[in-house]
Amino acid sequence: MKSIVTALAAVLTLTVTATDPVGAQEGADRNRSAAPSARDISGFWELSIDGSNVPAAVLTPGITKAVLDEQAKKDAHAIRWCNILGLQHAMGSPRPIDIRQGARMIVIATEVNAATRYLYLDRRTHINREEFDPTTNGDSIARWEGNVLVVDTVGFDGNKGMTAIPGGGFRTADSHLVERYRLLNNGSILAVTFTWEDPKVFRTPHTYEFRYHRLPQSYEPRPPLACDPFDQERTRFLTTPPQIPR
Amino acid sequence: MPAGKKYDRYNSMLVVPVRMHHRFRALMWRHVMNARRVVVAAALLLATFIGSGGTAAGQQPEPPRVPDLSGGWLRLDSGSGSFDGTVAKHPPAELTAAGRSMVVPGDGRNLIPQGGFTGPAKQAGEAYIVNSGACTPEGTGGSAINPNSTAIFLLQSKDEVLMVREGPGGRRFYMDGRAHPDLAKLPPSMYGHSTGRYEGNALIVETVGLTEGNVQGGGKRRPETRLTERFELGSGGKRLTITYTWDDPVLYVRPHIYEYVFERLPEDSYAFETWCDASDPLQRQSIVPPKQQ
Repeated sequence: MKSIVTALAAVLTLTVTATDPVGAQEGADRNRSAAPSARDISGFWELSIDGSNVPAAVLTPGITKAVLDEQAKKDAHAIRWCNILGLQHAMGSPRPIDIRQGARMIVIATEVNAATRYLYLDRRTHINREEFDPTTNGDSIARWEGNVLVVDTVGFDGNKGMTAIPGGGFRTADSHLVERYRLLNNGSILAVTFTWEDPKVFRTPHTYEFRYHRLPQSYEPRPPLACDPFDQERTRFLTTPPQIPR
Repeated sequence: MPAGKKYDRYNSMLVVPVRMHHRFRALMWRHVMNARRVVVAAALLLATFIGSGGTAAGQQPEPPRVPDLSGGWLRLDSGSGSFDGTVAKHPPAELTAAGRSMVVPGDGRNLIPQGGFTGPAKQAGEAYIVNSGACTPEGTGGSAINPNSTAIFLLQSKDEVLMVREGPGGRRFYMDGRAHPDLAKLPPSMYGHSTGRYEGNALIVETVGLTEGNVQGGGKRRPETRLTERFELGSGGKRLTITYTWDDPVLYVRPHIYEYVFERLPEDSYAFETWCDASDPLQRQSIVPPKQQ
């Protein structure tokens, strides 16, 4: 008799959940549970002033001051012309980031001028280079290793967006980024380690860590601030040395 | 797009109902191995449950069935015959005198050429400027509300539906029952403030707090204007129709209604990234609409 009751309860439960699309039921379960799932990083996350641990990158001999200055000029151009900025700016956003996890992909939407990131959980290999047009965010595939989400990204465009990497160096078309996401403090903190490899830029893999605070569910994002590339006063501000008002 | 590349897009998340089905079968199989009569009883109960429309002995109203909208969607041309003819097919808005006299202020960036997107559809071979060159957070000359030719992606969770595209920004539809803020305290924005609910098999989204601007089909909007969007699946989940209803008794004689139809993206596709560089002269080049097949 006990087995009958168990079976009937299972049937009813599965019937109900099967009518619910991805995420909705998972979200319901997550919100009912006191302890968030260690494998669900959905939520709004904010990087605080003490949330960065960034050592200096060890650069290759070819990355001279002149090379860095030239790259900095490209980044300044991207800011001046309101280009989308991409990684790493998106993850170091001064505003919260919105991470939503589905069964087949994870989306990271920001409140800054950076394209939405798509992390594909259902792909084991990157889109081949013949097909993929390099982007500011690259092509990201993700997998869970225990309670750590490992995100592997290639396919960057070294000439688009803001390429500077915290700690020194910059991304190029040959850059390879591995991120490891894990929840800490009962899900209230999201720790992400970033490891960049690029034989032309880094002598050794460059690793740093960001820790984001979970924001309440009631948080409501704001649209990115307007950016006007034709605003002459803004252009003057960005392209000439600051002057002391008199 | 370089020659030889396949045109594919990403679709996500349709697998879970199927996965649930497999889980159901696996569980049932274990019970079959133990006692066949348990399965019979379970099947009978399941049939009764489904036959009752998912209610417990008909005592409770049927809860809304949550449609699986998650994934990527690409807007379809409705066969208009010209580049922007989809808009031309929208029924024209019927504005009040106040609506007709409303002057939509620019934001100083001259993003869209004068008269852009408000006049008659351009004919094949007729050149025109689609964008003045500025890059907006929502993409080149695009609208934060009406999807353009880039794909949209929807992610559903209990408390929020996220609608993003292939560039920056995104719309959030709050599903937790919260109300719109007091408009006097809500700064108008290109996304406004959106709340959502499931009704029958549709997702209903209500938005207020949009900036003053033009609306497809000759309409206008202001922060007080209420936009209701109805997201409804068709063709076995392969098509999505969004019906837009703009309602504002000050601006409209009657609600202004039009719809867009989208096709679900195949599973092996992926999101592109919209690139825009206002320093590039090509960004503000005229286009000559090709004849649509």
